[in-house]
Amino acid sequence: MSSSTLLLSPAELAYLHSSLSLTTPAPIRPDGRSPTQFRPLTAETGILPGTNGSARICFADGTEAIVGVKAEVEKTPVSPYEFVASTEGRKDHSEKKSRRKSKKAENDETSMDVDEDGDEADSAAPVKMEGSPDWVELSVEIPGLRDDDSGTVFLTSMLTEALLADGEFVKKLWINRRFHWKLYLDIILISPPLSYPLPLLSLTTHLALLATRLPRLKSEADEDPMFDDDWAAATFLYARQDSEPKATSTQSTVRAPASRPPITLLVMAVGDNIIFDPSKEELAVADSAVAVSVAEGPSSLNSSESDPDSTSTTTTKRNLHLLSVRTIDPPSRLTPPGVPNSVNATAWGTMTAATAAAAATPAGSVASTEGAAKHPDARVDETEDVVGVWKAPRGGAKFAMLGAMVAKVLERGGVADEVLDGLEGVELT
Amino acid sequence: MPLDTSTYNLALLRVDGRRWNELRDQRGQMGVQPSADGSAYLQMGNTKIQAIVAGPNERDASKTNSSASTAATAGGLGATVAVGITVAPFATVDRKRRGRNDKRLQEMQTTLAAALAAAVQGQAYGPRSTIHVSLHVLSQDGSLLAALVNAASLALVDAGVPMTDYLVACTAGSTSSYAAADEAADPLLDLNTQEEQELPFLTLATLGASDKVVAMVCESRVQLARLEGMMATAADGCKGVRDFLDRVVREKGEIMVQEGAVGRGEVVSSMDLD
Repeated sequence: MSSSTLLLSPAELAYLHSSLSLTTPAPIRPDGRSPTQFRPLTAETGILPGTNGSARICFADGTEAIVGVKAEVEKTPVSPYEFVASTEGRKDHSEKKSRRKSKKAENDETSMDVDEDGDEADSAAPVKMEGSPDWVELSVEIPGLRDDDSGTVFLTSMLTEALLADGEFVKKLWINRRFHWKLYLDIILISPPLSYPLPLLSLTTHLALLATRLPRLKSEADEDPMFDDDWAAATFLYARQDSEPKATSTQSTVRAPASRPPITLLVMAVGDNIIFDPSKEELAVADSAVAVSVAEGPSSLNSSESDPDSTSTTTTKRNLHLLSVRTIDPPSRLTPPGVPNSVNATAWGTMTAATAAAAATPAGSVASTEGAAKHPDARVDETEDVVGVWKAPRGGAKFAMLGAMVAKVLERGGVADEVLDGLEGVELT
Repeated sequence: MPLDTSTYNLALLRVDGRRWNELRDQRGQMGVQPSADGSAYLQMGNTKIQAIVAGPNERDASKTNSSASTAATAGGLGATVAVGITVAPFATVDRKRRGRNDKRLQEMQTTLAAALAAAVQGQAYGPRSTIHVSLHVLSQDGSLLAALVNAASLALVDAGVPMTDYLVACTAGSTSSYAAADEAADPLLDLNTQEEQELPFLTLATLGASDKVVAMVCESRVQLARLEGMMATAADGCKGVRDFLDRVVREKGEIMVQEGAVGRGEVVSSMDLD
């Protein structure tokens, strides 16, 4: 974690830590937010006409990122088993489908159907749409850091992981059996890395992918692909839901339900508190920090047959599922520890009355040299927590805490919901 | 795709419909990045640059020597100007990733650092301070170096770094690349990528509206007889760019007065805002 150095003294860190770990009313954050509250952000899409999709987000702390998505047509290398597989394809495909249904993995199943029904050409001749992780290339550029810096590489792999985790994304890049889209996602942090940029980069990528459009395919089946020149006819990579969702709910699911790209949120824990969207100062006292990637499947409004509750609620319910969880080394590990008064040689004068009396009984000269030996507390203070004295946290997140963090992200009406709602409000151009 | 320059002589119009001495559409904005000391967004045609200025800060010995930026000292014992350029992989029509060790970028950084150091009054800060200028190329369509200079200049103004004048730059080319048509060759102002690929061109940076040349870069073969005409055209273009930058700064000043950030006539006494 290579954010710029933070100048906080151990005393300030201890104060911040104790105010963030307050439980009775709520933790007190330096900027007065509630634990789940996000900072305001400004976002726009379609800022670069030379790309297939682009987005820019500015966070309130002044960090800013730009993401540009470019797509190229690439030939899919044909494996020698391809033709054997294609003759068995029909059987294999239906078999797989039924197996999946029996597993009751509704998310997977509905989104599989989306992909297949989205292209009319496919439904006529069932072809196994497969993607390969090689079809997506993601790069992160952070000013002042080399591109092979471990922090940058870690960010890149985390964002890539979220995108590729469920294998649904690469399926969207399938053109036909011989060709596919190769998607380049280039993420640029414009501002200096003031805070850990993962959530910013993830949200900007999310928006850029939502805004990404690919030219409409004119050719059929396995021909060399031909595309419509008209950019206005280009189709969104993530199919849009109709403007009036109520109309679709009464009909059967004709329109493709909108699934959305993944988002990665940074969650941190201080004591028993779970805090979202931590600022740089808050991260400096985190006991543990976790990056949680969440994807939204097709909303359950469309698959109302399976879920009777969705008819009663008029608002669409998100179908969130967890993609990945990564613990992040918080910068708090590197903070300098405070020194308790009992072991601080310069603070002998300010000892408590009891210890001062104990120190005063032998000769004064002995007390100063053998001070540490005389006080059994001193050894304890060096290794264990003393109230009000900062000590860098050790060890990772507790299992129970990890579970609680993930649950809090995923819960209905929770943070991920709120973030996705907010991003939905961004006008796509 | 090579450009067919033969059509120019028919109507004296360039591929994008401009005449020989016309600049492309320019847009500029200051203070686009609240966390930076100074920032600017500049658009010259389809070339889009975002410039961020950090500093003046205490010199960081470990950073000035890295390959991420190139530094030059302003005004003898004055502050150092460090320049870093990143070109977004999606900036060109075909995606192309450029590493930090790209020779062309490094050369541009050196040119830019030297040119900015000449315009910045570095003695105001002293030798231990560094001004970091980082430039992000979001879209690239010719006159890259010129746009970088102008964007950096605007961002430095936003950061409040004292400069003798705006450092402005512009490119100029010549209509034909062969020697025979010397008489018929017209100089062209502010080239786009298509023209840059085909024609000889140079980038000229001047100090404000004066004809003081701060930097000149010419990487293509050009007839010596045409050089003067090209330089004169570029210098004229620089005047136009200076007017444009000045307009952007004044607009920003007016907004600041309206918002009450600055009292009227307090700091901006020399500006005529009415």
